[in-house]
Amino acid sequence: MKDEKIRLINEEGIRIDGRRPEELRPLRIEIGVLDKSDGSAYVELGKTKIFAAVFGPREVHPKHLALPDRALLNCRYHMTSFSVDERKPLGMTRREIELSKVIREALESVVFLEEFPRTSIDVYVEVIQADGGTRTAGLTAASLALAEAGIPIADLVAAVAVGKVEGHIVLDLCDLEDKFGEADMPIAIAPRLNSIVLLQLNGRFSKEEFKKALELAKKGIHEIYQKQKEALKNKFSEVSLMEV
Amino acid sequence: MSISQMKKSLTARIVQEKIYNLLVQGKRLDGRSPTDIRPINIVTGLVEKADGSALVSIGGTKILVGIKTELGSPYSDRPREGSFTVNAELLPLASISFEPGPPDERGVELARVVDRSIRESKCIDLEKLCLIEGEKAYILFIDIYVLDYDGNYYDPSTIAVLAALATAKIPKYEVVDGKIQKTGEYFNLQLQSLPFTVTFGIIREKFLVDPQIEEESALDVSVIIGVDEKNNVISIQKNSPGLLPENLLEQMIEIALEKGTYIRQKFCEILKINI
Amino acid sequence: MPLYFSEREIVLPGQLLSDDSKRSGEGTYVLGNKVYASTVGFATIKNDKVCVIPFKGAYTPQPGDRVIGIVIDVKPNGFEVSLGRHLIATIRMPDKKEVQALNLKVGEVVYAYVKESGLRGVFLEAGEKIKKITSGLLVSMHPSKIPRLIGRRGSMINMIKKETGCDMLVGRNGFIVIKGPSPLSEYAAVSAIKLIEKEAHSQGLTERVENLIRSIIGGEAGYER
Repeated sequence: MKDEKIRLINEEGIRIDGRRPEELRPLRIEIGVLDKSDGSAYVELGKTKIFAAVFGPREVHPKHLALPDRALLNCRYHMTSFSVDERKPLGMTRREIELSKVIREALESVVFLEEFPRTSIDVYVEVIQADGGTRTAGLTAASLALAEAGIPIADLVAAVAVGKVEGHIVLDLCDLEDKFGEADMPIAIAPRLNSIVLLQLNGRFSKEEFKKALELAKKGIHEIYQKQKEALKNKFSEVSLMEV
Repeated sequence: MSISQMKKSLTARIVQEKIYNLLVQGKRLDGRSPTDIRPINIVTGLVEKADGSALVSIGGTKILVGIKTELGSPYSDRPREGSFTVNAELLPLASISFEPGPPDERGVELARVVDRSIRESKCIDLEKLCLIEGEKAYILFIDIYVLDYDGNYYDPSTIAVLAALATAKIPKYEVVDGKIQKTGEYFNLQLQSLPFTVTFGIIREKFLVDPQIEEESALDVSVIIGVDEKNNVISIQKNSPGLLPENLLEQMIEIALEKGTYIRQKFCEILKINI
Repeated sequence: MPLYFSEREIVLPGQLLSDDSKRSGEGTYVLGNKVYASTVGFATIKNDKVCVIPFKGAYTPQPGDRVIGIVIDVKPNGFEVSLGRHLIATIRMPDKKEVQALNLKVGEVVYAYVKESGLRGVFLEAGEKIKKITSGLLVSMHPSKIPRLIGRRGSMINMIKKETGCDMLVGRNGFIVIKGPSPLSEYAAVSAIKLIEKEAHSQGLTERVENLIRSIIGGEAGYER
C-alpha cells in the first residue's frame, strides 16, 4: 500500500539504515544467559534478537526413536508472536518447520553425534524480534550454545545472509531489504572444515553476482566467527591452574 | 482430555523430607523465610516491534511478555468496548519438563488465570479502546513466554503482563470521513488497577510463598491467589492435584494481600509509576 | 611433537592443536593429519596425548567411579537408577531374594560403584557395595565441576566438611548428599557448592569458599531474614 517506492539504496550506495553494502549490523553476543539449559546464547544483530538453548545429551522420548550408534539431534526454530510486524499466531508455521530442518542439518554437520549413542541433543532457537537474518543469527547463537554446553563439535558455525538490493550485492539483509530486494541468500560456514553447512537462495543471481555474493558472505562470516570466539573466551576467562 | 503428569521431575524422597523439616523450623533451602519472595527484576521495551514488552525475572525464572494491537470488531454484547486476549507458551528451552508442541494444559491454564486477574480487576479501561461503537475497536494480544523456569512462572508472568501494559505505546487510529486511518501517534494505556498474583506451595500443614524449582517437586499442593490494591481477592486457582487444608486458606489470603502490596511497591519503584 | 598451544591455554572447538595425528586424546579430533580441539577447555598433554579438558561436558561413567543415584524402577531381577540427565544405570541381581533383601523403593537414594559402562549401558556393582541413603539433603552440581569440588587430594571437600561440620557424600555423576548438625551448616555447604559450580575456573577459589562458609556460619551472610 505504498504510494512512493522506498529507495533501499541511494546513489552513494548507502542503504536504508545508513550502512554501506559490505557492512554488518552491530553484533552483540552473550553466552550462558539461561540457567536451566545445558548451554545457551543470546545474539543481537541490529534489531534481530534471538535466544538459543541446548539440552543434552539426554534421554530420547519416545525411547523407540533412539539411534543405536549416535545421538539424535533435534532442532526447533520458533518465533514469538510479537517478533514480527503482523502478529504471528501461536503454533509452528510451515516456514518455522522448514527453518528448523535446515538449521538442524547445519548443526548435524559439525556435532560429533557418535560420542553419545541412544541419546538426544535438543537445540531451541527462539526469535524474540525479527528484522531479517533470523535463521543465520539463530544458527550463530545455536553453535555457541552447543559449545557452552560442552558438546563436542568440529567447529563453531558462523552464518549470515547476503543478497541483492536494487542491483547492489549487500551483506546482512535487514527485514525491508529481504522483503523488497531481488535476492536473499543465507549461508553458514564451519571455517575449520572449509565447508558450507547451510545454503539457500530466494531470488536470483547471475553467475558473476553469485561469486561476488559468496565472497562478501565469507568476509562477513569471518567477522562473526571472530566475535563468536571472543565471546566464548571471555565467558570462560579468569583462567588459572585448576587445583585438580 | 488431561493426562496425569507422568514425567514429573524426579525427586528423591529424602529431599521432600528435608524441605518439610526445614519449613517446620521456618527455614528454606536457599535461606529464605517461608514468605520471602526472590529478587524481582523488570526490563521493559526490549522488543521494539511489539507495542509493549517486558522481561521479568523472579530468582532464576524469566518471563517475556509482548503485546500486539490489531483492529477488530467488538463483541456483540459489548459494542462500546475493545478487548484483549491472553496466550501463554511454556517454551521447551525453559526447562527439561517442557516439551515442544501445542500449548499444553499448563500453558493454557497460565494464560487463563492471568486473563482472569486482569479482567476482574478492570485494570484496562476497555471503553477507551473502542473506535467506532459496534464496529471497530482495538484488540490487545498479550502473549506470555516462559524463557527459563526455576519454579513459579505465575507471579513473574503477571508482573510482566502488567509491566508491558503499563509501558505500552499503542498506535493510534482515528476515523476521518468514515475511513479508519493511522495517525502516526501513540497513546498509553492508563491502568486502573495493578492486580498481582502470589503463588503458595503447601507441604502437609506448612506453606511457603514463591516456590523454587527444587521445592516445587516436594509440594503436596500449589495455589495461586490474585489480589488488587484495594485488598480484594480477585482470582484464585488451585493448580495441582493434592489436598488443600481448609484452615490454611484464611492465613494464605492474609499473606497474599501482604505480599501483593510488597510486589506492587517494587513494581512502582522499578517502573517509576504510581497507581 | 609440534604444538600450537601453550599449556593450560583456553582453546575453542576447531582450534589447531598439533601436527601429530597419532596422538589425539579426549576432547580432540583428527582431520587430515592434524589434531583440533572439539570442546572449549584447557589444552594439555596427558599420557603423551594432546587432550582438551572440557570446562563443561556430559559425565561418562568409568568403572570404579562412586556415584549417587535415585531409584526409578524396581524389577524382579534388579533396579534401575537415575544418575541424572540421560544416565540410567542398572543394578543386576539375578537372585530374587537379594532383590527383596535390598528392598529399594522408587524415589530412594543409593550410593554405589560403577561396575561397567559401554554400549550395552551402565551397570552398578550389586551386593554389599550398595548403600541406601535414608536421610540428608540431596543436591546436584554439574558433573564436570565435581573434580573441583573434591580438589587436589581432597583439599577442597575436606575444608568444606571441616568448616561446616557436615558429612558429605559426593557422587562423580554430580549428586551430593549433605548431612549437617544444623540447617545453617547445611546451607553453608550448599552455598559452597554453588560458588564452586559458578567459579570453577577462577583463581583463589579455595580461599573464597572458606570465607563464604565462615561468613554464613558466623551469621553475617543473612541466612536469618
